[in-house]
Amino acid sequence: MAIVAQSSKYGRVSRASFAWIVGLLFFFPIFWLVLTSFKTDADAVKPEFLFFFTPTLDNYLNMTQNYDYWRFATNSVITSVFATLFTLAVGIPAAYAMAFNPAKRTKDILMWMLSTKMLPAAAVLYPMTFLTKSMGLFDTHFLIILVLSLINLPIVVWMLFTYFKEIPKEIIEAGQMDGVNTWGEIKEILIPLAWGGIASTALLCFIFCWNEAYWTVRLTTTDAATLSKLIEGNRAPEGLFFGRLSAVSAAAVGPIVVLGWFCQKQLVQGLTFGAVK
Amino acid sequence: MSNRTLPRLLQTPAVVLLLIWMLVPLSMTLYFSFIRYVLNNLRRPEWTTPSISNWRGFGNYEFVLNSKDFLFAIQNSLFIVGSILFLTVILGVLIAVLINKAFPGRGLVRVLLISPFFVMPAVNAVLWINMILDPVLGLQGLAVNGINDLIDGLRATPGVGWFFSLWPELKPISFRATQTSAIAVIIMVTWQWTPFAVLIFMTSLQSEDQQQKEAAILDGAGVWSQFRFLTLPHLGRPIAIVVMIQAIFHLSLYAEIEIVSRGNGNKNLPYLIGEFANNNIGAASATGIFAVILANIVAIFLLRMIGKTLME
Repeated sequence: MAIVAQSSKYGRVSRASFAWIVGLLFFFPIFWLVLTSFKTDADAVKPEFLFFFTPTLDNYLNMTQNYDYWRFATNSVITSVFATLFTLAVGIPAAYAMAFNPAKRTKDILMWMLSTKMLPAAAVLYPMTFLTKSMGLFDTHFLIILVLSLINLPIVVWMLFTYFKEIPKEIIEAGQMDGVNTWGEIKEILIPLAWGGIASTALLCFIFCWNEAYWTVRLTTTDAATLSKLIEGNRAPEGLFFGRLSAVSAAAVGPIVVLGWFCQKQLVQGLTFGAVK
Repeated sequence: MSNRTLPRLLQTPAVVLLLIWMLVPLSMTLYFSFIRYVLNNLRRPEWTTPSISNWRGFGNYEFVLNSKDFLFAIQNSLFIVGSILFLTVILGVLIAVLINKAFPGRGLVRVLLISPFFVMPAVNAVLWINMILDPVLGLQGLAVNGINDLIDGLRATPGVGWFFSLWPELKPISFRATQTSAIAVIIMVTWQWTPFAVLIFMTSLQSEDQQQKEAAILDGAGVWSQFRFLTLPHLGRPIAIVVMIQAIFHLSLYAEIEIVSRGNGNKNLPYLIGEFANNNIGAASATGIFAVILANIVAIFLLRMIGKTLME
């Protein structure tokens, strides 16, 4: 027995160290991006400055000058925030209706919503370009907000639906007895009760909007171009600008990675549509 | 019951919006796929405006099926998606089992592991292809140079030098050719999506029956047979879900291909559609319809599985 206990202790230590190595390996590219962002463009490609160098903030300070970062970042913030708000405004009533007043077809509607998510975006690339250009919506914030909302609406309705389903029906029905109308039910009872679920849904929706890279690249040129477009436009720096490219990239992903840490648990529910618990 | 009508109507905006979003562009794609429609053609200017009089029947579909790019794009799509699925599932299961048991700093390791998933695709591609995989200036190039220098130094060492002079000079791999850039895409997407698989498998492992496991240990089951006969069957459903969700996402992979492979021949279906859409809208639309069919085959299986859960 003593031998078994000893070997399992040895096993535990090696298992823990191995887990740490794996975690650090996966994080390394992000670490490398951030590290490079503090090097000058010249130092960034010199092997002698791989890990030890004189850190500089110049890349961050010159982001406006080099890349017009703030314009793209502002567009990313505006489109992601408003798309998230709009998606919630449409999604909360829909999920409420489905969770508390299910009809025969509710399940089918939910399934159908999900199926729209599976339509490959590229298949409708030209019609979208054609329509938005002829309506004068191409490269506008309004268009990007609308598109981001529609892309994420199915996931948001699904996530909210699974959260709302966990609220006992009796609580909502008690409100009806007291003569609260539908709007009151949502505002006074549902939203306070499901606040945590709504917040994490919103967070996840925001992350997806921020990272979207098909429509934001194909349906914009300058006015409504987001950070995805900025990075895509500077994809091949040929090693000349590793430092400044790292800074702009780190600034584009840093806040989102940190936000992501706070909603990793909800991610499972959101991306598997409640199918893995 | 009539007071339930209003609450039910609340789902209308969401349904109507999605209906328009799905039907309008898709029916246009369907229409364009049956007519001759190009953006520039000096000899046949009538083809540059969509019109029913330019009806081509299945001509665009034939054209697409006969172009060698199409077959290559399908093959390449399947190669890229298949490899990513294979790698993420294997790595995902191994890592999930590895970090399932408590150890010091487990929370922090989880945070480190999940981070790649939140990196925007454009940054992922730029970071990997330039700073890591570049054969000269990236870490790959620097590492290969470093190793070569080291071996060079050892060759000059008396006594063991003859041994190292038998070693070949290492050459860095360029990831910008057709085939290697597909591999670069596989590497970067695997890096990004393995965390997703880990997260889902871990969530599922939390609900594994511990009593059953203890009984198995008492019966003398080894680590391998516990994994093979208890853990793996338990993970069957989550693996299927991870495979299908990823298949849907990766069949429409775009930013990575665009950034890594523009102009070097490595393409998948979405990229080919983009190429066609520069001029031949009819062909782009027909390719789009093929992409929809391909995605639907995967989606039907996925929806069935999720539908089952919803019934429970």
